Amino acid sequence: MMPLVVAPAGEEQMIKRIGGSEEVKRHLQELGFVPGAYVTVVNEISGNVIVNVKESRVAVDKQLAQKIFV
Amino acid sequence: MGIRIALAGNPNCGKTTLFNALTGSNQFVGNWPGVTVEYKEGKYKSNKEVTIVDLPGIYSLSPYTLEEVVSRNYLIDQKPEAIINVIDGTNLERNLYLTTQVVELGIPVVIAINMMDVVEKNGDKINTAKLSEEIGVPVVEISALKNRGLKEIVDCAIKAAREADPQSPKHRFAGSVEHAFAHIEELCLHDMTDENVQRWYAIKLFERDEKIQEKLGLSQDVIAHINKDIESCEKELDDDAESIITGERYNYIGTIINGCVKKAAKGMTTSDKIDQVVTNRWLALPIFAIVMYLVYYISVTTVGGWATDWANDGVFGDGWHLFAIGTSAYTEDADEYAGNQLIVDGYDAYVEENGKKPTGDFEYPVEDEETLEVTYETASLEDYKEAKSYMDSTEEPDPADYGIWIPGVPVFVESALDAAHCNDVVKSLILDGIVAGVGAVLGFVPQILILFIFLAFLEACGYMARVAFIMDRIFRKFGLSGKSFIPMLIGTGCGIPGIMASRTIESDRDRKMTIMTTTFIPCGAKLPFIAMVAGAIFGGASWVAPSAYFLGIGAIIISGIMLKKTKLFAGDPAPFVMELPAYHWPTLGNVLRSMWERGWSFIKKAGTIILLSTIVIWFLTFFGMVDGSIQMLEEDQIDVSFLATVGKAFAWLFAPLGFGNWQATVASVTGLVAKENIVGTLGIIYGASGDVYATMAAAFTAASGFAFLAFNLLCAPCFAAMGAIKREMNNTKWFWTAIGYQCGFAWIVALICYQVGKVFTGEGFTFGTIFGIAGICLIVYGLVRKDKYNAK
Repeated sequence: MMPLVVAPAGEEQMIKRIGGSEEVKRHLQELGFVPGAYVTVVNEISGNVIVNVKESRVAVDKQLAQKIFV
Repeated sequence: MGIRIALAGNPNCGKTTLFNALTGSNQFVGNWPGVTVEYKEGKYKSNKEVTIVDLPGIYSLSPYTLEEVVSRNYLIDQKPEAIINVIDGTNLERNLYLTTQVVELGIPVVIAINMMDVVEKNGDKINTAKLSEEIGVPVVEISALKNRGLKEIVDCAIKAAREADPQSPKHRFAGSVEHAFAHIEELCLHDMTDENVQRWYAIKLFERDEKIQEKLGLSQDVIAHINKDIESCEKELDDDAESIITGERYNYIGTIINGCVKKAAKGMTTSDKIDQVVTNRWLALPIFAIVMYLVYYISVTTVGGWATDWANDGVFGDGWHLFAIGTSAYTEDADEYAGNQLIVDGYDAYVEENGKKPTGDFEYPVEDEETLEVTYETASLEDYKEAKSYMDSTEEPDPADYGIWIPGVPVFVESALDAAHCNDVVKSLILDGIVAGVGAVLGFVPQILILFIFLAFLEACGYMARVAFIMDRIFRKFGLSGKSFIPMLIGTGCGIPGIMASRTIESDRDRKMTIMTTTFIPCGAKLPFIAMVAGAIFGGASWVAPSAYFLGIGAIIISGIMLKKTKLFAGDPAPFVMELPAYHWPTLGNVLRSMWERGWSFIKKAGTIILLSTIVIWFLTFFGMVDGSIQMLEEDQIDVSFLATVGKAFAWLFAPLGFGNWQATVASVTGLVAKENIVGTLGIIYGASGDVYATMAAAFTAASGFAFLAFNLLCAPCFAAMGAIKREMNNTKWFWTAIGYQCGFAWIVALICYQVGKVFTGEGFTFGTIFGIAGICLIVYGLVRKDKYNAK
């Protein structure tokens, strides 16, 4: 398991676990970040990542990307 | 009876495009009561009985964002006759998440799968018949952009509304969850008649939704009882209640998708490819800089600048040439005429002063129109002869001879009033009060509209969402959003469009912070004033102008850090997660519509405050007590005006800042009408003796001069910008908070500039220095104090 921050770009990964506060988790879930979903990192700038999840592109900042484990 | 149809869907699903296509120009745009979330309602083009309500874009019906609460309350309490659930066909899985919740509300729902043109282009296949059967509601394929399926979807929704037979959700949760629902329903929802509604409340109570608990007025006992049910369910499924529900919903969607959608195998989409370049680690900033340069260059420096000049100096000034034909020829001739006149006047002045004609070269003064700076040029007798013969042979150029000259509104109104033999007071009220006030409102509209075209385009094509991503890390540090960069950049041209540009910031807190700090950046109108202070008080020192910008940027950074620690901006800074919509070309109609909506809301909402304030200042400036009676004054009698009285009454406020005289106070007040007025007012007040700059230099020291500059740069902006702040805050309390903060902050900074500046300009350490240092301490405390409201 590794946080999304360090996941290599361009490879599809399965989300294993999501940490963080209830509120953050909830918002991530609404956007499609649920355990078992597949994500692909498109780009990364100093820890902030753009990922493809369920057919949409979502920008996630470093703080959050560290709490999504793939 | 009329039918109300609500449009519900995720952000970026094309809901607004659909809304515009369905309602055309029959729209009402406002705000939801008490919040800054936009409310849109319109009549359906083909049937005026049908009202369409555009709900804010939401991802779910949970109560955690303002948009969700507003949408949810509307759907539960107002119960529209039908809901059109708009779904982005290229992203079914995520969009259906909201659908699973919407169908539970007990309101007839029809699904519109939007962007079918893109889906087909991608080669994907959606079996809508099967999808409709699985979810239990009608499904229509549409493309709002291409006007496809629009009639079908509305007809379908009207039919559903007429039948008024809401679907029962087909989805069932896991056994133990359903069991808990049954318990909850039995416990506290059994008197509801509608089973669907009953179920919806049960689900929400299962999710421990506090807003719903409150709404139903449940006692602590009942809540505790429900909690027991939930906990046993949580234990059984080893997850928290909300995650159970979310997980189940996604599983259910997964099974539907598998049966109904066939995806064409594909590599990267176009959007992915664009993103690899545009948000690339190395290229992102340079590309951003180029885009911003273009926006700034066109909307501030060139086209926007011309538009503002045209509106302010042409339409609300002397007048203008149609299509600018003849303007340059006229300007050239007028400049030549004025130049020659200066030489002739200089010669005459010399004769008058010395009682004899000059025998050789003589000097004559030249005054800069904007900054009132006077420089001396030398002319020879030869020059004089030439100028004299030019003046004798030439009439003053008339702009009407050079092209089709359209007189400005003030000129036109003045001649009309003269023709009507209008009373002087009324004439002045109309010209200097009302026309000037209307001019102040409308003068900025062309530039605002130009800027809004750009913003609308950047937003609609998808780049704006990326801007936030690119700049966010830097701005987050000062409590601002990555998108705050745009308002600040535009603010260097004019604060009004700058403030309006803050619209694109989603987070309420970031937006308010941006609105409060944007006008610290020196705008175009402050430049003549900066130049005047630099020229008159600092002998034209070149460091003054850059220091004004550093002061502005510093004020934004310091304010950002200080404010985010205050109670006003308390709360967890929202971690940055946002959807980046796929890139696409916006339609011209949508861009123009967005531009017009924002421009119009400025005219409407900001216009009133600007007009009223201008009239008040007009009255104070042009009326005064002369020989015991109230009288109308000439422009140069400002020293006996009510404004001067007000200035004298409040001058003590500025004594600690080093400019506690009524002149500076009055100038600051007229600066509220428009910042460039400061120069004009000072010109009138200090101009009586002839040389404005010399008089001003005598009235200010270096320290008090800089304090005066600092105060006027940072304090409340002009009325037009205040109007924009009021419009964007949409809340009187926040409006006064912003203005109060700006003035207070400006006062303290000016205090520091003066009191500490005195020490360095040779006046030594005085009693006042202590206050200056106290001011510094206050700001430093504000910067470093513990952030007790946002404890990490």
